[in-house]
Amino acid sequence: MAAVATSSFRDRTSEFVSLSNTLRRIGGNTLPSPQSQPSNDPSSVTPDRSEFNKNASRIGLRIHQTSQKIDRLSNLTKRSSIFDDRSKENEELSALIKNDITSLNMAISDLQTLQNMEIVERNYSGDRVVHLTAVCDDLKSRLMNVTKQFQDVLTARTKNIKAHENRKQLFSTAISREHPLKKPPNSVTEPPPWSTSSDTSGGNLQSGSSGNGVPAGNQLRRRMATDMNPSSQFEVSMLQQVVPRQESISQGRAAALQNVESTISELGGIFTHLATMVAEQGELAIRIDDDMEESLSNVEGARSALLKYFNKMSSNRWLMIKMFLILILFLAVFIFFVL
Amino acid sequence: MVKITALVVLKCNPDGSDPIILANASDLSSFGFFQRPSVKEFIVFFGRTVAKRTPPGQRQSIQHEEYKVHSYNRNGLCALGYMDDHYPVRSAFSLLNQVLDEYQKNFGDSWKTVQADNAQQWPYLSEALTKFQDPAEADKLLRIQRELDETKIILHKTIDSVLARGEKLDSLVEKSSDLSAASQMFYKQAKKTNQCCTIL
Repeated sequence: MAAVATSSFRDRTSEFVSLSNTLRRIGGNTLPSPQSQPSNDPSSVTPDRSEFNKNASRIGLRIHQTSQKIDRLSNLTKRSSIFDDRSKENEELSALIKNDITSLNMAISDLQTLQNMEIVERNYSGDRVVHLTAVCDDLKSRLMNVTKQFQDVLTARTKNIKAHENRKQLFSTAISREHPLKKPPNSVTEPPPWSTSSDTSGGNLQSGSSGNGVPAGNQLRRRMATDMNPSSQFEVSMLQQVVPRQESISQGRAAALQNVESTISELGGIFTHLATMVAEQGELAIRIDDDMEESLSNVEGARSALLKYFNKMSSNRWLMIKMFLILILFLAVFIFFVL
Repeated sequence: MVKITALVVLKCNPDGSDPIILANASDLSSFGFFQRPSVKEFIVFFGRTVAKRTPPGQRQSIQHEEYKVHSYNRNGLCALGYMDDHYPVRSAFSLLNQVLDEYQKNFGDSWKTVQADNAQQWPYLSEALTKFQDPAEADKLLRIQRELDETKIILHKTIDSVLARGEKLDSLVEKSSDLSAASQMFYKQAKKTNQCCTIL
């Protein structure tokens, strides 16, 4: 608990207790037995909170342990190579972590229900309610981080596995291709088939042909059947290549089909992506349209107002009449006042 | 570039004697004029030897200098293809399969009774030779894969242009909102200048 406490939150209960003591001493000297109360209060307060606190601290500890396990798992995935296959450990560990995370999830939801029950039951003050909710949220966010970490580690592991598979394939085909090259060099160069005796030509043809390692499985069988005598090493090495090569055609077809299938699904995803983007942009176009209509109406209104103004300004007769009226009014007022 | 040099159909005898050539088509344009007859001879003899050594129901590929010879023996009827190294093996064998099917469709079982080399040309074979220079023709999977890749490239370009369109639309939205604000100000201003002189 100490480790968890120091990691993300500080335990300031002792400070709180001392502060409450000093406040009580300052505020109420009339309170009887101020010494016993502070000693009682923490003990009466802590049993109420200790249930919740205990659970919360336990959960925090488990989250911490799970994150440590995830770190170990990521280290394992980084370290394991083709020749040092620790996939079993990886899988066990990842299964373990998954179980931990699900149990933690359940525990946190339990804690939350407990908190809600306690709030309803005992009428806690606002601060306490805030504190409880804060603790719950903190635990939940930490669990989310831990799950995200776990997901990242899993994706890294799948990528690693894929890379390993590719390299294995490369190596296996390279091995079967290298082997023929390591054979004695005179078997590689083939004498022309129109050499003197058909037997020697057939024999040379065979050794030459098998010296170059393309579907060599059939060749091996043929050789055993026709009873040539290659070296035993040669046979053994050819035997090792027989099994992968014999099914290479059907495997190749299956691989190509899978490729095609994955490409098609990718294409489907791209199309949906495209559709979403175009739909978004359609909304943008609608917005633009609305804006343009609004500005059009504004400009038209302004134009009509200006036109009215201009008309008023430009019609002289009306203005002249108005001016005369004002003058006559002034004269009338003037004469009225003088008189 | 991938290339087929020759296609040969032979009849293989189960008793191990020399196979009999039933059809032959070759594209010798890459060889000099004086080398062509010798290359033809080579093809014939090579074909006979390889076919003799291919047991029925077996597929086989042999490497010779820079050429690969693929042979497929099906119930005594053997098809050979002389291709260069880059021609994918799978499409080579599917091509040989097709050739054999065509032959059986055209000639039925008459080939079983042939005893001497057939000197006639089979036009389908020479057509096939030119048509299948491109391995995608022979192998449907390859062609589908190639077309899908092209489609994917086109789609990527489409998405890029749609993104650019989105950017332009964004700028248009901004400009139009600015325009509407300005026109609103214009309207208010015009109304204000009209307000004060209505009395006069």
